[in-house]
Amino acid sequence: MSKTAEAHPIVEDSKVRDVLDHARAVAQELHGALTDAVAKRGGVIKGDLESVTHDTKVIADSIRSSLGAQNAATKRYIEEAVTHLEATAAHATEALKSSGRAAETSIQQAISTARAAVQKISEAVAAKRSAASKPQMRK
Amino acid sequence: MRNFVAVVFDDKAKAYKGLHALWELDDAGDITVHGTAVVHRDDLGRFEVDSKETHPVLATAVGVGIGALLGSLAGPAGVAIGVAGGVAIGAATGAMVGGAVDLDRLHTRQQADVETGLVLGRGQSAVIADVSEDGTSAIEMRMKSLAGTVHRRSKSSLQDDATIDDGFYPYDDYLYPYEYIPSKYASYYGW
Repeated sequence: MSKTAEAHPIVEDSKVRDVLDHARAVAQELHGALTDAVAKRGGVIKGDLESVTHDTKVIADSIRSSLGAQNAATKRYIEEAVTHLEATAAHATEALKSSGRAAETSIQQAISTARAAVQKISEAVAAKRSAASKPQMRK
Repeated sequence: MRNFVAVVFDDKAKAYKGLHALWELDDAGDITVHGTAVVHRDDLGRFEVDSKETHPVLATAVGVGIGALLGSLAGPAGVAIGVAGGVAIGAATGAMVGGAVDLDRLHTRQQADVETGLVLGRGQSAVIADVSEDGTSAIEMRMKSLAGTVHRRSKSSLQDDATIDDGFYPYDDYLYPYEYIPSKYASYYGW
């Protein structure tokens, strides 16, 4: 698994996607890569877990930095996503320190919290899009 | 509004076109897709969820989750059937939902017709998605152009159904949160 956040640095590009859209794409890729690693190799390797801890921090920092520009609902989802991203990093770190059954459990927890993080970022994107569309609907 | 949609197609290839179309609508900002899965019903009436080969625990979870969701999309009567069927398919990689929702049974079919209209006939496939949408027209128009039939239930109504089964509510977790297309179907698009 490559470091997805480095492969796709999260930068504001209003022509293509904003920070939140881009963060969601990177988080989706991270979750997909993690589950692929488990599926195809029967387990993740040290490099995968190091990438998870790195990428989750990059995504969390990115969406946290966008908080000031968001509405209340979007902020709430972002804060929940950050919590899940931090949990994902913690589980990945725990997996790095352990072995056998304990490591496997930590990896499954990392996958679960990574999924939850994607879900919350996705809900933040929906809340932002919905808020943006409402002025047009009133016309 | 947060909805679960099931779009029924006559074959697998069209279902994957439908899946791709949903994510395109998301990319355009018309809707937000939170998760998707593609389900087939074979000629013997068995349900099969296209899922990654993965750890048995995850395969079980996907089976339980999708089985329950299928049941819920068939209406309140389908919830218990769906959960039970989902548990039964458990460890099978590829998440076979064997008889999770037997819509051939007359009473179930009649109830499904009344409540949601979701009937997945033998040989048909469906895209199941968890979406946020401000209106229904974007999905309706796009799926109509692909000859898909859209069935929709609000997330809140599914949560109400979940109370039937002691609050069991697995639906958020087991749909793929990105466009997952198994390699055997990717060739439909020339990927």
